[in-house]
Amino acid sequence: MSVEGVAHIFGRVLEVGDVQADADFFVLGGDSLLATRVLSAVARDYGVELTFDDFAFSPTPAALAARIASVR
Amino acid sequence: MNRVVVIGAGLAGLTAAADLRHAGVDVIVLEARDRVGGRTHGVEVAPGAWIDGGAAYLGDRHTDLAKMIADLGLKTTPTTMEGRSSFVLGPERIVREGRFPPLNAVALGELFDGLDDLVRRVRPQAPWQSDIPDDETAADWAVRTLTHPDARTFFPLFLGEMMAADPADVSVLHMAFYLSSGGGLRYLNAFEGGAQDSRVDGGAHQLCERLAAELGGDAVRLDSPVHAVEQTTGPVTVHAGGSAYACDAVVVAVPPALADEITYQPGPVARRTTGRTAPGRAVKVHLIYPEPLWREQGLSGWSVNAAGPLLSTVDDSPVGGGAGVLTGFVTGRAATRYAALTPEEQRREAIAQASAIFPGLPAPTGFHVTNWVRETYSRGCYAALFGPGDWRVLGPRLSTPDGRIHWAGAETSTEFFGLMEGAIRSGHRAAARILAHTEPSRNQQPPLSS
Repeated sequence: MSVEGVAHIFGRVLEVGDVQADADFFVLGGDSLLATRVLSAVARDYGVELTFDDFAFSPTPAALAARIASVR
Repeated sequence: MNRVVVIGAGLAGLTAAADLRHAGVDVIVLEARDRVGGRTHGVEVAPGAWIDGGAAYLGDRHTDLAKMIADLGLKTTPTTMEGRSSFVLGPERIVREGRFPPLNAVALGELFDGLDDLVRRVRPQAPWQSDIPDDETAADWAVRTLTHPDARTFFPLFLGEMMAADPADVSVLHMAFYLSSGGGLRYLNAFEGGAQDSRVDGGAHQLCERLAAELGGDAVRLDSPVHAVEQTTGPVTVHAGGSAYACDAVVVAVPPALADEITYQPGPVARRTTGRTAPGRAVKVHLIYPEPLWREQGLSGWSVNAAGPLLSTVDDSPVGGGAGVLTGFVTGRAATRYAALTPEEQRREAIAQASAIFPGLPAPTGFHVTNWVRETYSRGCYAALFGPGDWRVLGPRLSTPDGRIHWAGAETSTEFFGLMEGAIRSGHRAAARILAHTEPSRNQQPPLSS
């Protein structure tokens, strides 16, 4: 699963440049409203619908990519 | 410039009056109500404990408001929210951490993607020049773009909370503009770090009370609804009741629907509303308890309730203690219905709902309704809602003076439109424009009569 792909979604939604694989979305300035926009992009790009709690427990590109892989 | 009459003693009018007075201009403020403050209004919920029946919140981008608060010797208090939230969005009540509603997150993400796209496309300084068609309402837009039922459930709640609108009231362009003008989706939605970061300690109504007090003497005339403004070759004459006030310029600082009810002679002046312009639909309800009892159950007081009438509630308890205050927001379509109920029905529905949201909560010791929908001298709150086509008609002359008539008010500011910050900025702008055109007057006159 593409950690880079998820990192790219983080960067676009947060309007920041490169996002590291282990960077925490909420530390980077994300909030629940923006988290939903990551999840809609994940659904679009990977065909996986995650919940807000899934995201809250996996708030880094690496963790979220693993989460996506586990439910695919 | 010798004398200016300001119509309306809300934040916009009193800001303009203060600036003009500071520059040495003789200012008279005519106010229709028996109080100053406009859409800010204090409610005393316990001896010495005041809360906001009207505009309440501010954030760090509200720089002119922050300066005014400091200049007037007032303070702010953060809107801290600790504990779990309650949600009644379906058949069951759900209690959970955070403010995020228990709805399909992907569906909400698609809603916010759509809104974000609109906010990016709007031109906030000139919305009518945006690349957004101005022929559909936000309700039309929702039907066209929102597919998931959870997005359709949440959208009217969100729009009600953001701008006190029923989606059928506003054009999609106005929705995009309002969200952009207020700082964007995230900023407008957020408490901590956003537009609801703080309140004025002791109530926002103190701003206007202190501004009026600083003007002093009889500068502010209450119970003086203006019905006509005459621009002749000589002075401008403002008619309020049986009194006429001669002046060199006028600032009309009342909500658009009220500005349009004044007769302007010889006229015409640019209209402030069209047949599509709707009043902001907000009723603010305060339930008073001996203390914030929901905190004992680990609840923050924040709730979202799809069925209403209280679409959301928030803990507005005074900082120093003395009372627990649960503020309920009734907005959009729910407000139209609720505003028409009898006081007893309003009370019964609100209390029944509070006990459904917070089981075990006793009956409140106090209950206050601030019904902005029925306020003769506000005609709605938070702000006027522009319908399809309104921006094209009203926008280009929103803040353009008509002769010696200058326009102010929260709806004349493309920055922070409809908010306290927008009102204050509009007041500064109107005063600055008058002062920039100051000429020695040949028509210095006292009031014609009083």
